[in-house]
Amino acid sequence: MSQSSDVVTGARLPEQVALHARPAGLFVRAAATFPCDVVVAANGKRANAKSILEVLGLGATGGTELELSASGDRAAEAVERLAALVRSLA
Amino acid sequence: MVSVVVREQYVGLVLVSHSREIATGLASLVGQIAGPQVTVRAAGGMPDGSLGTDGGEVLQVLRAAANGDGAGAVVLMDLGSSVLAVRAALGELDAGELERIAVADAPLVEGAVAAGVIASTGAPLDDVAAAAREARDVAKL
Repeated sequence: MSQSSDVVTGARLPEQVALHARPAGLFVRAAATFPCDVVVAANGKRANAKSILEVLGLGATGGTELELSASGDRAAEAVERLAALVRSLA
Repeated sequence: MVSVVVREQYVGLVLVSHSREIATGLASLVGQIAGPQVTVRAAGGMPDGSLGTDGGEVLQVLRAAANGDGAGAVVLMDLGSSVLAVRAALGELDAGELERIAVADAPLVEGAVAAGVIASTGAPLDDVAAAAREARDVAKL
């Protein structure tokens, strides 16, 4: 089953984990496995979740609330998976 | 019933710098962000460890990347003679090797990180090279 509508959810980074280096790599690689477009927003900036340089450019430090939105095929699954990944980063 | 074993192949990276420390340090950084599947080869500095680009080493590393068991490699350079050394080495490769090498005109650090992450998804050579080139246009601030 596929979803084609826009789906939005929030996910908060653990206090001690910034979205940089290894965590950012894990996030982008997970996003890249989905066919839909995924945007991650934080600190008033938006990034293509499949672009490591854009995600690093968010400067999201530990405890930052991220907004994940996706549109296209498997959008709901993508935001759910990515939100779970963000919360589980260590 | 036929059983097929699919071995995933990943595009690798070749990093060419005047400095061995830059090349190997960047390889470590890419490994941390992109994960262990992507083979990153570093060529930097002179045989005695001083700054410079060793054309023989660059050729050897490009050959290894072209003939390894991966899906080819994207080459990134820092400046000046690194670019010349890569050009000279490309002239030594045969047509089959050249098909498995893509040189990216991109900033070294940003391009390597972007290309490494895309390579780790199993993307083909052209897509990995494009990711490196796109690094020119991503704002840092």
